[in-house]
Amino acid sequence: MTATTNRPQTGATAAPEASNGVGHGNRGAWLIVMNREIVVRALNKSFLMGLVISLVMIAGLTGFFAWQSSKTDTFTVAVTAGDTAALAAVEGADDAAAEADQKVVVEALEVADDDAARAVLEEEDADAWLQSGEAAGEASGVESGEEGWTLSGWREPDSGLSQLLTSTVETQTIAANAAEAGTTMDALSAGATLDTQRLDGNAIDPQVVFIAGFVLAFLFYLGTIGSGTMIAGSVIEEKQSRLAEIIATAVPLRHVLAGKILGSSVIALAQNLLFAAVGLIGLSFTDLSTILPSVSASLIWFVVFFTVGFLAVAALYAVAGALASRTEDLQHTTGPVMFLLIGIYIVTFSAEGVLEVVLSYVPLTSIVSMPVRVLAGEALWWEPAVSLVIMAAFTAASVLVCERAYRGALLQTGGRLTWRKALAAEG
Amino acid sequence: MTTPPSRPGADLEVIDLTRVFGAPAGSPSDAPVRAVDRVSFTAPSGLLTGFVGGNGAGKTTTMRMIMGVLAITGGDVRFDGRPVTQDDRRAFGYMPEERGLYPKQPVLDQLVYLARLRGIAAPAARAEVLDHLERLGLAGRAKDHVEKLSLGNQQRVQIIAALMGSPRALILDEPFSGLDPAAVESMVELLREHTARGVPVLFSSHQLDLVERLCERLVILKQGQVVASGAPAELQRAGAVRHRLVVGADAGWVRGVQGVHAIDVDGPEALVELSDDDAAQLLLTTALERGPVHEFTPVRPTLAQIYREVTA
Repeated sequence: MTATTNRPQTGATAAPEASNGVGHGNRGAWLIVMNREIVVRALNKSFLMGLVISLVMIAGLTGFFAWQSSKTDTFTVAVTAGDTAALAAVEGADDAAAEADQKVVVEALEVADDDAARAVLEEEDADAWLQSGEAAGEASGVESGEEGWTLSGWREPDSGLSQLLTSTVETQTIAANAAEAGTTMDALSAGATLDTQRLDGNAIDPQVVFIAGFVLAFLFYLGTIGSGTMIAGSVIEEKQSRLAEIIATAVPLRHVLAGKILGSSVIALAQNLLFAAVGLIGLSFTDLSTILPSVSASLIWFVVFFTVGFLAVAALYAVAGALASRTEDLQHTTGPVMFLLIGIYIVTFSAEGVLEVVLSYVPLTSIVSMPVRVLAGEALWWEPAVSLVIMAAFTAASVLVCERAYRGALLQTGGRLTWRKALAAEG
Repeated sequence: MTTPPSRPGADLEVIDLTRVFGAPAGSPSDAPVRAVDRVSFTAPSGLLTGFVGGNGAGKTTTMRMIMGVLAITGGDVRFDGRPVTQDDRRAFGYMPEERGLYPKQPVLDQLVYLARLRGIAAPAARAEVLDHLERLGLAGRAKDHVEKLSLGNQQRVQIIAALMGSPRALILDEPFSGLDPAAVESMVELLREHTARGVPVLFSSHQLDLVERLCERLVILKQGQVVASGAPAELQRAGAVRHRLVVGADAGWVRGVQGVHAIDVDGPEALVELSDDDAAQLLLTTALERGPVHEFTPVRPTLAQIYREVTA
């Protein structure tokens, strides 16, 4: 007696839906397919490797930013003995840097004469050599009495240092000139200050917004291409091996498609949440921690948009897999989708102005553009919601069309198919 | 013969089934191909029906249409006396032509997965899969990835996939190809369990000896058409019966007897085909007039001969 015979037999007269046999009203089939997709993906070695590499990259990048923003640069500037103006300028620059919280320390190194100064530059004991007024004139062979300053380096002096010294020398010279003219610098510059302020309370550096746009576009690209390719691969695996035929005769194909799309969406969502968490934790250790709330809000929108939009991308990839007849065809059939995604990646991370506003409403590009506008504080409160509704409608429509194409293509053997043929198929 | 057990199963009938593979749009030169042309036969409940024919005869196309994997151009598939429904098909066990499973998934996991898709609860699916693996000698390979198995073992796994969950009919495309004789025996034993509970089993094969030995019913396909069908014994009876005649002297004269078609004459021996019983009597009388008759026997063709003739 085997397990195959211990099931109550239904008579030939029994209606099929009343039978206890296999395959009847298996409404949870999509759930079984979804579970398999998730488990197989989660145990896939190359997927795990990719995930670990991405996480290390994100952690490494944020770590690098944190280190970059917290480290203090120390510059040593040589000053020739007796060049008191230069010494004062170097000390003034150090004070100015400390005042502006620039994490820059400027130290003066007194040397005996010009030759000694050149020597310390060559030996790299000093980063630069500052000469004031007449001393500079003599050193460069210009006639004495010529006013002016010279900053020399063995190579090009550091631009940050030279900017700092330039403004210090300027301030000191203007102050000295003002004193000579019997007035003060404050008196001269009185009323010439311009303050900027923004009224929405959002104080995000445009630079940060740009970087965020780049990162989100990249996350979008990484998530869609990675998970999409996996779906196409799993579809062609079943089609090529004719497992699709066994499965198609056991459960409705829309269950299979739904399970695949949802399973890979869960994976893509989990992956994005993981990346976002690591990124945010990393960010909290940097100077950018002050903007953490706005970044988090933007990231949450990104995850929501991505989750909705990815369903459409996953459906497209499933069709691409079904259109192929062998794994080798995948490159061809997934090409157009890949092209679309690369296009979205490039357009969204570089978009600004009106184009960005438009893109933030166009399905799929809105996955990146709307969260970026949220971060920049440009989006009104209702804008993400409206955009999300538009994308949800787009996703629903694409999934319906894709479901038809998938069913039409999956069981057709004999060569690569086109979308047109898949949609026209009777299957 | 004992009373047959009450059959809970149902007959699977194919009536005028036709499949035309259309010429692809834009290539008017290619004429549509009638891969299956008005094929009719019955796979009765509780019997093994063998489906034979050369490559391209339309066996796989017919089976795919029965399973609803391929759209039907014309004709009907009936189950239990009414048109087959998608629900019926979900209760059929099916083994497609080309073999393949998830190569990187363990045997047990994917069989349980396929069983669960057919609506069997996970614990029951597991028990049933393990039982089948045991019976086909694969118990030790349950945790192996399919790609690590030999082709014969992969074939067994594939068969198990079709037998899960008491299917109401079995449609198996070349289930025995690549199996050693021992594996064929255990497979047949398994299939017999299913026919015993009234399930119609239709399987295709090009191993004629196997089909002759196993099947209660036979359907021979040639170029998309049924050229012969029935029980093997019926087919043998229906085939043109030949007679062997051995006389005392040269038998060349048989060529002149009315209603006798001499196929082979070798000295005193002749193999002839007779148009009717009168011809037989006439041949025998003539032979006795000419001398002694040592032998006059009907010769039944083997299935292989019938097959060669109908598919020639």
